Amino acid sequence: MKIADVTVKMDRRAFFWLGCAAIASATVGFLVSTFRFLVPNVLYEPPSRFAIGLSSAFPPDSITFLEDRRLFVFNSPDGFYAISAVCTHLGCTVKRSATGFDCPCHGSRFDANGRVSRGPAPAPLAWYALSLSPRDELVIDLDRQVAPDFRLRA
Amino acid sequence: MRTPIAHRVTGWLTSTWKSAWRIGWPRTDKDRAAVMISSFFLHIHSARVSRHSLKATYTFGLGLISAVLLGILTLTGLALMLNYVPYPTEAYRSMKDLQFVVTYGVVLRNLHRWSAHAMVFTVFLHMCRVFWTGSYKTPRQFNWVVGVALLLLTLGLSFTGYLLPWDQLAFWAITVGSNIAAYAPVVGGRLKFLLLAGHVIGPMTLLRFYVLHCVILPLAILALLALHVWRVRKDGLSGAPMTLDAVSETAGAFPASTKTWGLMAMTRRPSASVEARDVTDEVFAWPHLLYRELLVALGVVIVMHLVALAFAAPLEEMADPTRTPNPAKAPWYFLGLQELVHYSALIGGVLVPTLLVAALLLVPYVDTDPSGSGVWFARERRVANTVFTVAVILLALLTVIGTFFRGPSWAWVWPWK
Repeated sequence: MKIADVTVKMDRRAFFWLGCAAIASATVGFLVSTFRFLVPNVLYEPPSRFAIGLSSAFPPDSITFLEDRRLFVFNSPDGFYAISAVCTHLGCTVKRSATGFDCPCHGSRFDANGRVSRGPAPAPLAWYALSLSPRDELVIDLDRQVAPDFRLRA
Repeated sequence: MRTPIAHRVTGWLTSTWKSAWRIGWPRTDKDRAAVMISSFFLHIHSARVSRHSLKATYTFGLGLISAVLLGILTLTGLALMLNYVPYPTEAYRSMKDLQFVVTYGVVLRNLHRWSAHAMVFTVFLHMCRVFWTGSYKTPRQFNWVVGVALLLLTLGLSFTGYLLPWDQLAFWAITVGSNIAAYAPVVGGRLKFLLLAGHVIGPMTLLRFYVLHCVILPLAILALLALHVWRVRKDGLSGAPMTLDAVSETAGAFPASTKTWGLMAMTRRPSASVEARDVTDEVFAWPHLLYRELLVALGVVIVMHLVALAFAAPLEEMADPTRTPNPAKAPWYFLGLQELVHYSALIGGVLVPTLLVAALLLVPYVDTDPSGSGVWFARERRVANTVFTVAVILLALLTVIGTFFRGPSWAWVWPWK
């Protein structure tokens, strides 16, 4: 075969395999792209960092359950802290109990600091970082987990 | 006396009819065989079947019942699709409309839901029957594998199906289900993201499950079911015992027409079936098999209709992401799994199911001894049957515990208290 001034030595069999390789790579490319098509690029989800209200809205020594955010917000004498109400087992919403938190789905129990005391939960409840906005609002950052000694002095 | 014009009309009508149905109503044994193999819809049956496999107490018609239920589910499902909007809150409103507004809606929904429950049950029983009669043995090993895939597809269809009403059960089932997927090693997190089409359950999640339930999984189950039935057709109906006494012909007696038998002998049979084949023990599928199939189908349709008229399909409150019901229970067929998951999500949700499926798939390739096929609880199969039965009993036990003995926070309760 002669292409322009370059002579390419290729018999029919080699050309056949080249064709097969081309079709195979095109197929793989198509499949990979189609798979990638299924992975969303833009998520229309609530932001992970948001204000939950003025710090004065959380009275001293109180525990507030933010239902739609699935969060417990504590105002203790040491300061503010927030614990997730999402069970680390399979994502059900935990409820407050006398000793801490109970999960209704598979019976995991957590102590007052969210540590697992019983049941199948593999990890303690998440603690999220709190901060104060210039307008004195409590701001929570779901992308930033903190240790259970976290307190925000208001 | 027939006038020539009337004669021509009947002749035209007859030839028109015969263009579609060439054999007509079969009146001879030759036609009874020919009608089965010349019809697209009937040729999934062999022309003749052994009395043994026709016995109600041998197969209990479980495969057939499952197929009939799939038929009911397809028809009712198609109807339901026309009165359903796959979008959160709209989906729930569709359910309420089906229940209270749409004519016949409540019956169709009940039929669909209860048939789905029934199908999970009969497909599982069908698998038990095949195991206990050793029917997965050569040459049917691969068809057992296809059967296991069909069982998994049935469960997948149930799972994706009960998410669609967008009630509390639906929402928390997706929550728990997708979180179980997240426990899978390496790909878990990405798998969950792909299932939910995001980090949280939303409209795209519902759409994904809707397409899975209405298009992808039904197409898969139809393709595999065709393969399943085709293999049954090629390997012969479930294995007759090797040593079968010649049974004297009683019902539907047919003369030893060499022509008919010669016709049938054209199909190449695997050796096991050839040995088992006892021509005097066989009857024509038309009418013996078709008649029974029709009766079973009729029975299933009647029973499911009665159930649908008597019992309302469950529908909980509208999905509320802020409030987990206590206890949050899956449908009964997943409660055994949920009971396991309550001990450990990784072991109960990923490890045990994976190992169970792997064990099921390997059954016909590990147990290669061809003996003991075609009879219930064959003596030679005592070990295999015991192991399988123990597994079935354990699963049933876990399911019963999950269903009746678990209360709020999955704590142990006595159902009679």
